Amino acid sequence: MGGSKTIRAVRLASGLVLITFVICHLANLAIGMRSLAELEAWRATLTRPWTTGAGEWLLATAATIHLSLGLYAVAARRSLTLSGTDVAQLTLGLLTPPLLIAHVIALATANRVSPGFADNYGQILAVYWSFAPAYAFLQLFVVVVVWLHGAIGLYSWLVLQPIWRRIGGFVLPVLFALPILALLGFASAGQEVLDKLANDAAWRQMILDNVGKIAKVTRELAGLQSGLLQAYALLVLLAFAIFGVRVLRARLRPVALAYDGGQQAQGRYGLSILEISLLNDVPHAHVCSGRGRCGTCRVHVDAGAEALSPVGDLERATLERVGAAPGERLACQAHVRGAGVSVTRLLPAFADATAAQAPGEWMARPAARESA
Amino acid sequence: MNEQSMALWSAELLATAKARFAALGADLAQAPLDARHALDSVQASLMTGAGVRAGTYVAILLFVGVAVEWLYWMYAYSPLRATMAMPARSPREALRIGLRRFLFSVAGLLLFTAATIGVSAAFAWPPHVHGVVIAATLLLLVLRLSWIGVSVVLAPDRPRLRLVPVAQPQARWLAAAVMAALALLAFGRFLPPVLEDGAQAGHAASALRLASYTLAALILFVGAFAFFGRARAEGAKPPLFPRSFPLALLVVAVYAVWLMHDRAAAVAAIVALVIALQLGLHRMVYFYWGEDDGALPAIVLSLARFVVALAGIGAAAVALDTPVATLAENVGPWVRVGLRLLGVAVLALLAHGVWIAVRSVVDHRLARIGPVDPHEPPDASSRLLTLLPLLRVTTAVLLLVLLVLSSLWALGIEITPLLAGAGVLGIALGFGAQALVRDIIAGIFYLADDAFRVGEYIEGAGNTKGTVERITLRSVALRHHNGPLYFVPYGALGSVRNTSRDWVIDKFNLPLPIDVESEKIRKMIKKIGDDMKEDAVIGPMMLEPLKGKLYRIDPGVKIFRCKFRSPPGKQFDVRANALKRIEAALRQMGVQFADGRQTVLLQNPG
Repeated sequence: MGGSKTIRAVRLASGLVLITFVICHLANLAIGMRSLAELEAWRATLTRPWTTGAGEWLLATAATIHLSLGLYAVAARRSLTLSGTDVAQLTLGLLTPPLLIAHVIALATANRVSPGFADNYGQILAVYWSFAPAYAFLQLFVVVVVWLHGAIGLYSWLVLQPIWRRIGGFVLPVLFALPILALLGFASAGQEVLDKLANDAAWRQMILDNVGKIAKVTRELAGLQSGLLQAYALLVLLAFAIFGVRVLRARLRPVALAYDGGQQAQGRYGLSILEISLLNDVPHAHVCSGRGRCGTCRVHVDAGAEALSPVGDLERATLERVGAAPGERLACQAHVRGAGVSVTRLLPAFADATAAQAPGEWMARPAARESA
Repeated sequence: MNEQSMALWSAELLATAKARFAALGADLAQAPLDARHALDSVQASLMTGAGVRAGTYVAILLFVGVAVEWLYWMYAYSPLRATMAMPARSPREALRIGLRRFLFSVAGLLLFTAATIGVSAAFAWPPHVHGVVIAATLLLLVLRLSWIGVSVVLAPDRPRLRLVPVAQPQARWLAAAVMAALALLAFGRFLPPVLEDGAQAGHAASALRLASYTLAALILFVGAFAFFGRARAEGAKPPLFPRSFPLALLVVAVYAVWLMHDRAAAVAAIVALVIALQLGLHRMVYFYWGEDDGALPAIVLSLARFVVALAGIGAAAVALDTPVATLAENVGPWVRVGLRLLGVAVLALLAHGVWIAVRSVVDHRLARIGPVDPHEPPDASSRLLTLLPLLRVTTAVLLLVLLVLSSLWALGIEITPLLAGAGVLGIALGFGAQALVRDIIAGIFYLADDAFRVGEYIEGAGNTKGTVERITLRSVALRHHNGPLYFVPYGALGSVRNTSRDWVIDKFNLPLPIDVESEKIRKMIKKIGDDMKEDAVIGPMMLEPLKGKLYRIDPGVKIFRCKFRSPPGKQFDVRANALKRIEAALRQMGVQFADGRQTVLLQNPG
């Protein structure tokens, strides 16, 4: 996963926009724990800005950019050295668009067919809880998928920042309290809506009419939906195909790598030093899973520096931040393109996020090379 | 059991099996319809407000579980990585690392499960759903536990940390096969009850169970031949019976039992697992401990055998739903006796473990000291050689007494009167056994004082002397240098003269004619002493060189006294050698030993 600083920044920004929207959306739902009326009242502040004008545009752009960059990251991979978190992150990320397509299309249709219908939480909840529970299950699934994806992304970015030491104890509980509260709000508001449906026949009839209208259009839009799904599936397949071709082509060109302590490893042309470590079960710290953010994987290049890929701007920035000495590289960014490379790992394999928050504390420790 | 009842029993068994086969067939035939009904009813009940509520709660549970485990891993991930980065130089180190990995992962899993199930109690679930949720959580627990176990033991991607001797490409396949079989078994165990209770789909449940168990048995059967069939190709080693056959046989047997009788299958599976483990235990233990670890593998092996057997019994009790805690109160006398025998077995296991540990430690030390040569000077190890066998016997007696007493207690026999009786008898015996007690206590102090060790030459009271051959609780056996063996009770040993400690001084006289020149003789002896010190054989036996000086002048004879210091027991050799050299030197000087003849001068009368 090589990458430039710009791509990294754009992906982070788009992700932050998306998660801000999700936070607002879930916070709004959480208010449902108090009452349906308050849920509606807060809608104007929390959710409306995102569904109108600039907010809508920003959201759509961010989603498109984030999705494209995610697929690009898949295609740009060279090996299957993924941590458990990475696999979860990738799977959840790939699951999100198809799950959301139905939600977005349904809401857009509803807005067009009967304006104002989708702007009312009570009516949507009535649909979910009484008329089309399948959508409700889909939404629950989406909440779990999106939130876990966002939480992993947010956490793995924040935990590397020095500020995490001060805000970590506060952010992490919020990270999980929010979806739980939102779901509780969903349940409580849903119960309220069910009661209202049972008691208010006129309201019920109004919703029934609208649902009938929307259902008719939705059936016509099923073609659009399946078309979008197919296009998405094609894109994902393409990304994986590019990835597969890269792996297969690299497979033909093995390279060797030497570590401190006389350890040897076999890799393939173009893999990063870190990927070769992970493929060969060589203990190597990598807090950010090879994203070039944390600097814990850095190595001192003892020989064969010319056989490594040149230092990019992202790597240079990180090396500067952690105060690396000359001759040091990030193992996750330095790709091996020749023989005779020999490196010394600088941090113990068990280095954690604190090594990124305060790089000075870790370099002073004498145990740094014990794990060889 | 006579022939007739045997035949009757077999017929009955066959009839049961036949009925069960018929039922299974019927289940299979009706399963598709049943499943469709179940699906419809589940869908109907899910697609309501109550269903959505249940779904919301499930999502909340998921978040709670993930949050708790996330929090745990925030702290545990670094230590886990540190553990996995540790160098595993031997299988035993890998075992230690694997154990830690397992504990780290299982702790996270248990937190997840506990949080999920605990929070699930707080919600008002629609009917049947709570049971399904708990079953699903348990299924998740079993699946993840299986995965943790497989990834720790087989470590498919980390040959460094693998706990079993399996090659790299094979390990991945073996891990996949084991995981698949375990997952199928878990599905077969947890899903059908949900179908039966939640959706009243008994036939579908039965068919699901049949399918998953059959598939699991098939995987295990094929796996046994695929992974354990190549035991013969091990270089020049004699061919072993391939392990694949007994393993495959066990799989088939358990599957057959399950086909015939549902409840008995769990016990059969446990028995099969115990047998398989017992078959492989020797190899496993020696894989970790090797032959050069002394008695350790033997202890581990016997303990492991006991633990496996007891765990099997416990698991069988659980599988049969035997309420162990309340068993003692409300069952027949035979079961009670059986339980008590089980208690005795546990006690025997404990005693056996302690005994093997003590014995192997003692034997190991003894073997390292080796047999003591009585002609060598005794050193500190001979003291151990004295004390260790004593310790061994004492431990054995003590353990046996404790075991007998506690077994009697476990069997429900009142031992208080026994102990009291032993007390009274003890007083009576005590008077009679005064001398015995005195001997034993005196012996302890002799040993504590380090007064003598095996192989030393001692003299005790009453002219008893000899080399210590054997030390027992009550007496010491002394071999006199002429052969007889003294058995001296410690009480009668008295003050001990130990002639085998540190050094001895030997002196001998040299009578020479009166007209020899004393200074010349002294120098000659000193030179011999220096020569002997240089000698390769005699030199090390001398702590101080030989010296001699004029000691006395008698009429017609000058007596020189020689002296040297040597390690105990060596003085005789040194003295003989010294005399030999002195004699040769004197002959060379032309000096003869004083002959003892007196010269009588007679006054000649004429």
